[in-house]
Amino acid sequence: MAFPQDNREYIRRIGWFGWFFSILVLGLFCRLWYLSIVRYDHFLSLATRNQIRSVPLVAPRGEIYDREGTILVENTFGFDLLLFPYQVIDPKKTQAYLENAIDLSAEEFYERLDVGRSYGRYQPVVLKQNLPLTQISYLLARSADHPELEISERPRRSYVYGTLGAHLFGYMGEISANELSLDIFRKRRAGDLIGKSGIERIYDAELSGRDGIQKLRVDSLGRTVELLPPVPPQSGESIRLTIDLDLQKATEKALEGRVGAAIAMDPRNGEILAITSRPTFNPNDFSTRISLSRWGNLTSDSDRPLQNRVVQNTFAPGSIFKIVMAMAGLEGGLLNPKETVMCSGSKEFFGHRFRCGARSGHGRLDLKRALQYSCNIYFYELGRRLGIDKIAAFSRKIGLGAATGVDLTGEAPGIVPSREWKKKTTGMPWFAGETISVSIGQGPVLVTPLQVALVLTTISRGQFVQPHIRMDRNSHNVQSFPQEYLKPIKDGLWLAVNDSGTGRAAHIDGMEVAGKTGTVQIISRTTLEKLPPVQAAKFKPNAWFAGFAPMDDPQIVVAVIIERGGDGGRVAAPIARDIFQAYTQKFFKTPESLKLAAGR
Amino acid sequence: MHPSKNRHKQWGQLSRLAQFDAQLLAVIVVLAVIGLAGIYSATLHGANPSFFSRQLSWLVLGGVSFFLVAAGDYRWLTEKAHLLYWLANIILFAVLCFGKEISGSRSWVGIGGLGGQPSEFAKITLILMLTRQLADFGDRKLDLKHILPLTLTALVPIVLVLLQGDLGTALTYLPILLGIVAVIGFRLRCLFVSITLAILSAPVAWLALKDYQQQRILSTLDPSIDPQGIGYQASQSLIAIGSSGLHGKGLGQGLQSQLGFVPEIHSDLIYSLLTEEWGLIGGTIILSLYLMLILRILWVGERATDRAGIVLVSGVASLLSFHVVINIGMALGLVPLIGIPLPLLSYGGSSTITFLIALALITSVYRRRFLYSQI
Repeated sequence: MAFPQDNREYIRRIGWFGWFFSILVLGLFCRLWYLSIVRYDHFLSLATRNQIRSVPLVAPRGEIYDREGTILVENTFGFDLLLFPYQVIDPKKTQAYLENAIDLSAEEFYERLDVGRSYGRYQPVVLKQNLPLTQISYLLARSADHPELEISERPRRSYVYGTLGAHLFGYMGEISANELSLDIFRKRRAGDLIGKSGIERIYDAELSGRDGIQKLRVDSLGRTVELLPPVPPQSGESIRLTIDLDLQKATEKALEGRVGAAIAMDPRNGEILAITSRPTFNPNDFSTRISLSRWGNLTSDSDRPLQNRVVQNTFAPGSIFKIVMAMAGLEGGLLNPKETVMCSGSKEFFGHRFRCGARSGHGRLDLKRALQYSCNIYFYELGRRLGIDKIAAFSRKIGLGAATGVDLTGEAPGIVPSREWKKKTTGMPWFAGETISVSIGQGPVLVTPLQVALVLTTISRGQFVQPHIRMDRNSHNVQSFPQEYLKPIKDGLWLAVNDSGTGRAAHIDGMEVAGKTGTVQIISRTTLEKLPPVQAAKFKPNAWFAGFAPMDDPQIVVAVIIERGGDGGRVAAPIARDIFQAYTQKFFKTPESLKLAAGR
Repeated sequence: MHPSKNRHKQWGQLSRLAQFDAQLLAVIVVLAVIGLAGIYSATLHGANPSFFSRQLSWLVLGGVSFFLVAAGDYRWLTEKAHLLYWLANIILFAVLCFGKEISGSRSWVGIGGLGGQPSEFAKITLILMLTRQLADFGDRKLDLKHILPLTLTALVPIVLVLLQGDLGTALTYLPILLGIVAVIGFRLRCLFVSITLAILSAPVAWLALKDYQQQRILSTLDPSIDPQGIGYQASQSLIAIGSSGLHGKGLGQGLQSQLGFVPEIHSDLIYSLLTEEWGLIGGTIILSLYLMLILRILWVGERATDRAGIVLVSGVASLLSFHVVINIGMALGLVPLIGIPLPLLSYGGSSTITFLIALALITSVYRRRFLYSQI
């Protein structure tokens, strides 16, 4: 037991032990320094993300009102089920639970999970909207076992009148990757619902408001430990439209069962009163996530119900274009309204024989009568006199061939053909014969129903206006048109409706309607005659009517097109009449109409 | 020599027996208080509120054991070491057969309401047994034939505890042996032989590991493996420490730890919690305290008056150093999570009492630092 004489060896080794341990402690200190000081910011942000769950408080969108303040689009609140993808530990378990709880298919679950993961780690994805009460209570009872799920009360878009004004309002949808990169959506995040078309899209920034946020401190199991003060959502701005609900209803009703479009507008200021496109859809279907089958039906329908035919589709204007021709002739001084042209049913121009609608001819006609009976020969002659370049220049001057700038999405510019245009698009020179076709609105000239309404607006009051749908938007009447040019044209249009002209079906007692029909063959008449009747019915001409009322102080312009509807005077004019009628009943209180109303 | 004079001298020396090493005691008390503060903070959110009072009672129990052992003579314990050692091994074997299984390992034994982990106390009996074996060893370096019996002595509890499924505790026996052998000195060829043996046995050892143990080792080597799974706990500890900054978040504010992202904050990963709440400063203070503790133990060793004292000191110093470096290394993401406590800070009855007894042995050596050399 006695201690060895020389313990210096041991002491030396104990000293080494001390140094060895000191170096290890120094190493630990360096690591501690590195973690807590050098990488502090990194770990702090990780810690915050760990503990804080952010549930977006979706801002209700602004409401949409008609011109009289009647609510058209509002919000209803429902309970939505949110999934926090990064909290999902066992996807199979969550999926099985959801299949049981809310009948969510495996496919849909994994699709949503993938979508959610693409959002970035800490943002929830909506699994199901508008949960029924039984499912809410089922989910709440088991919420402790499923911290990856959260039930949140959220606003949902509600279109009060269903399909009414569907194309006008547009519809909602989840923002796409493409849209996220657009400047107007720079404040939006993946997963947000945005307006996809129509008013919802154009005024998305105003309508959408600002989402709030509820931050929750959660533990490692995702259970809420503490609610942090919320940032409340700010509702979007409400918007008042120029639309009149009653007129809109009448327009919708008039177009029931048709394929076509109608627009009513106030020529004094460019306010659009009604806008309808058929076939239509129900925008409420898009307020909750639309089912694939319903979406498939909408997109595969050959009549394209999602398209707003008033601005997105272009059509040959047919005889409606004769109004433009008359204006061009009068303005250029190449046409004397008193001058007459002889119509014998057909006439040869540039080596081709062109026919009039009336086979036996209209006889001798001046401008008024030519418009009243829609005589082709008269306008062929005028077209030959003007030439394509003057026709094109004037068409552009009154707004054809370019988007009107109305506050709706996807507006098509239409086409105003000219030498230059043809050279550019086909590389071929312009043939003089083509000018003759263009003179009656056939051939390559294409317009939207809105552009047609605008031409009528210009005629009716002799001034250009900016068409618009949002009420607060100021409209500037830019340019006036000399009244004396317009008189004979307006007279012709009045005769067309009120003196057994082509538009007589639009006549209303007690209201001076003036207008013009158009009937546009979509295949040539000779081909049509060869087809069996069933086939032929599918290729009936497009029917147009465009007019204004009342004659002496125009307050409403209406343009109607019925695709493959048949004769403009027989099909489109009665629809326009219904719209004029509705307007008259509501707004037009002349002594006569009051007397009529009292007499009933 | 005059008997009465001699007696007088002895009394003078005996009066010194009453002296405990004040510096060592101070470090122990400060660490225990810090540990209590940490456990208290852990109980504010999540951890069982009784942990604080239980730890307090174990510290009292450990304190009593400390003074009993420190007042006694380590040479007496060394002489009886073989009895204690085999008693411990028998109990370890019994635990293996009848013990209670807690979180995957069968290392817990309980009678009535009392219970404990014999594998903790076996650390002390192993140190004492090795001391006994080396006490009469001459002034030579250890050769293979000396090291073999020492290795066998260590292997018995290692194998028993490994069979219990407690890899972490089994690993703590190894540094006891290595530390003692290193301080006593060994011939170079022993090093080569043991390295060769270690390399040869490594694949066998790897296969013997449980799946989750293999995963833990892999995830430490590459933390990007499955951050939500095995490496999750380790990465959460890193986040807790990394988000603390210089001053930390304050007592009870270590939310990363508190909200359950870091597991075992009251026991194995208490360093994460304390550092999250007290920052770089707190973490550094704890490291410094352990440095002071170990260096003080070694200081006592340098003044030991017999070989048994030297061996005891090296065994205890190795054991504590290993715990400190590995445990804090775990919290800092440098070492796989193997589940060994931080001396005097971590919650736990058996371990706290074991560490206090080990330190009592050091005190016992300290108190006899003048006795034998001068007689």
